[in-house]
Formats: sequence, structure tokens, C-alpha cells
Amino acid sequence: MAEQHHYAPGTTVLALGTKRGLFLMTSRDREHWDIHPTALAGHRIFYAMLDQRAGCRLFAADNGDFFGNFIRYSDDWGQTWQEPKSGIQFPQDGGLSLKNIWVIEPGRLDAPETVYAGVDPASLWVSRDRGETWEPNEALLHHPTRERWEPGAGGLCLHTIVADRSNPDRMWIGISAVGCLRTDDGGQSWVFANKNTRAGFLPDIYPEFGQCIHRLVQHPTSPDVLYQQNHCGIYKSTNAGQDWIDIQQNLPSEFGFPIALDPHHPDTVYTIVEDPEGRHNFGTQFTVYRTMDGGASWEPRTKGLPEGEQVKLGVLRHGMCTDSHDPGGVYVGTNTGQLFGSQDGGDTWNLLADFLPSIYSVTATVLS
Amino acid sequence: MSSVTVFLPGPLRQKVGNQPVLTVSGCTVREVIDALDSAYPGLRFQLCYESGELRPFVNIFLRRENIRYLQGLDTPVAPGEQVHIFPSVAGG
Repeated sequence: MAEQHHYAPGTTVLALGTKRGLFLMTSRDREHWDIHPTALAGHRIFYAMLDQRAGCRLFAADNGDFFGNFIRYSDDWGQTWQEPKSGIQFPQDGGLSLKNIWVIEPGRLDAPETVYAGVDPASLWVSRDRGETWEPNEALLHHPTRERWEPGAGGLCLHTIVADRSNPDRMWIGISAVGCLRTDDGGQSWVFANKNTRAGFLPDIYPEFGQCIHRLVQHPTSPDVLYQQNHCGIYKSTNAGQDWIDIQQNLPSEFGFPIALDPHHPDTVYTIVEDPEGRHNFGTQFTVYRTMDGGASWEPRTKGLPEGEQVKLGVLRHGMCTDSHDPGGVYVGTNTGQLFGSQDGGDTWNLLADFLPSIYSVTATVLS
Repeated sequence: MSSVTVFLPGPLRQKVGNQPVLTVSGCTVREVIDALDSAYPGLRFQLCYESGELRPFVNIFLRRENIRYLQGLDTPVAPGEQVHIFPSVAGG
């Protein structure tokens, strides 16, 4: 019989999507953590998130090895799972087939039934009934430039969805090797938002589209301020993506995947840059970089993180997140199965879990 | 329409009430899959892409032969035959 879990308000819940299973970690004090396997043991979980806008529903992007790709949801902390009544499937005569589900994001607070998903081939899907039925955004699916979109190494994946908290008609999405797109009319049309971001792997390094965005986050109180980690640089926009400012500054590489932001101190941003060839930390020290001045300068944060000749850790695009406590927690999951956590804004780190399967995603929720 | 017996692998049985074997009608493998999907909506998506192509790590055997080396989904199925569905031995 499935174990029944009851968690008190204030509990921090981490959802870890891994190459072989979905795990939950919980803590009341962020020092002592319990880890809970779920019934999705062995499943390839690209992303998972807990949505507590209308009840407490756990969503998972389950990309099976053999029998297809499914969004699943659980209302009992992962002990049992349901499939949508009408899940993500392309029309049979449309020429597109679902390859992977990359991300699931809650909609805005005032639309608690709305959930978004991003998939490969690049498309945005919307559910307006808490994940029971899904439909594609037609304007993006039929974007006039679509035939010229080329996949990146991870596929033609829509991996980032930012629904503007301040404007119900505005949203940004990130597609690997296509770039950032924005809608200002509730998804009726999409424009590229890549000005001044580089595509160093193309003949024209400043194209309208073709940039390989890796992750995008929005400032919590200044909605026009965005940060993105890109294949070719780390950028900030102060005008909703009309153009971008290179904020690599003193970072040792332009290449990285994750980026996360402290919701209470929005000039504080975290990133991890990597050796672009090996796709792991430079040198012998695994390092999280932090800016506290909106990208004017970056500080390496290493206390408690591993160092040694053998240390070659990679962090995927969804492998880092922050929680909503103040002072904020920062969590980093590696592709070699370590989960590191900091409860002081990155100054010191602890190994929260080890020997997990390769970690694809980490999301944090503080129970209300 | 001929009646055929379909043997399902473990991961697919949850969708069909944990039955390991089903009996459906169909004159080709494609029709057998159509019949499975009619009886248990969603099964086709687990076997085939939306385009109709068989998923790469799904193997369907008829008379001990992988249908990929026969006529694919258009392989004829005779009355009373057995269709076996397996996931590939992928990864090692």
C-alpha cells in the first residue's frame, strides 16, 4: 500500500527529475532532508514541478525509453500517477511527432487551472484544466519561419516558458538553436527577441533567429528585466527582450546551461559556466557563480563544493533552482547524481544527496 | 475480419486492465493496432508515432519474425495467428 505523506506548511519540497526516476526531497529546516522515491522509479523524467495554486498537484515530463512520452500528474506526492484525458499528441496528418517533453510550467496565479508545457519538436502546449487536456499554440506551430528552424544537440526543444506575471498577454519562450520568442497578444503571434545575442556557430553571428538560448528567467519585481544563459554568452535585457546586454564580465566562459534568480533580491543571479568541450567545470573546482549587482560582476562561490583532479561535474539547463525563502536556498543537481544545496545565498554549500541517477531537473516549492 | 491473439509486454498491460493477452480483429498489423487502439484508446500512441511510423524501440513479431523485415505495419496477419509485442533490448 502506498505510503501516505502529509507535509506541514513551510516544508521545502524539491522535485528531482533524473535519468532513472523521480525523487522528492523534503525538509522543515533545510538542513535535514528526507528523500522519497516515487512510483515513477526508473522512468526518464526530464522535468517535474509541484503546482500548489489549486490543490497540490505534482507534474512530471516522462520520456519513456520505448513506449512514448507523457505528461503525468499525481495528487498524492508521487505515489500514484494519472495521465491526461487528452495528452500531448500532434495531429496524425501534420507531419510532426512528439520526441520529448522538456518542461512543464504553471501559469499565472490568477489562472490556477492553466498549465504550460514545452516539447520537441518545438511547440508550446496549454492546458486550461489542470493538465487534463492539452492543445498546441497554433501561432507558434505555424510560425512563418518554422521551416528554417534547425535543432541543437538536444533537439528542437522548447525548454523554457516564462509567463509574465504583470501582463496576461505577454510571454517568453526559449527554443534551442532558434532563440527567444515573445508574444504580446496572448499567443496569437510571436516575435523574435534575440537582438545582440550571438550565434557564434553561424556565419552571421547576430541573426534574427538561430541563437541557442539555454535558459531564461524573469526578474520578480521588474517585469521587463530578463536574464538568459546562452550557448554563446550570458545576457540581461532591461526592455522585455527588445535587446540584450552581454553580462559575461569576469566569468571564465560564455558557455553554460542553468541560470536562477533570488526572488527576494532580484539583482542576485546564479549561473554555472562550463568547459564547452567537456561540458563540465573548468579546472579542478566545481563552482557556482553569483552576481549581486545584476550582472555587473560575478563572484565564484566554492565553499563546500568539490575540488580535485577527478571533479568533472556538469549541470543541465534545469539542474539549478532557488527556493522562495529569505535568505534563499539554491540547489544544484549534477549529471553525475549529486545534489548540492546552499541556504545562505551560495556562500556555503552542502551535499544533500549523492549516488542519484543523472539529474535532469531540480525544482523547489515551499508549501503554503 | 480475422481474429488474432496479441501478447503485450509488462509496461503496456496497465492500460488494458493488466491483461497480458488480448484478442482483436485485423488483417494486417496496422489493423491489429487500430483495433487495439479502438478498444484501449492511447495504445497506438505507445506503439507508433503520430505520423503512424512504428516507434524505433518497439518490436512486433509475427511467426517469430520481426515485422520490420516482413512488410512492416502492412504485414498480413492470418486468422488465429499470434502477434507478440516487445520493447527492444536497448542499452547494452
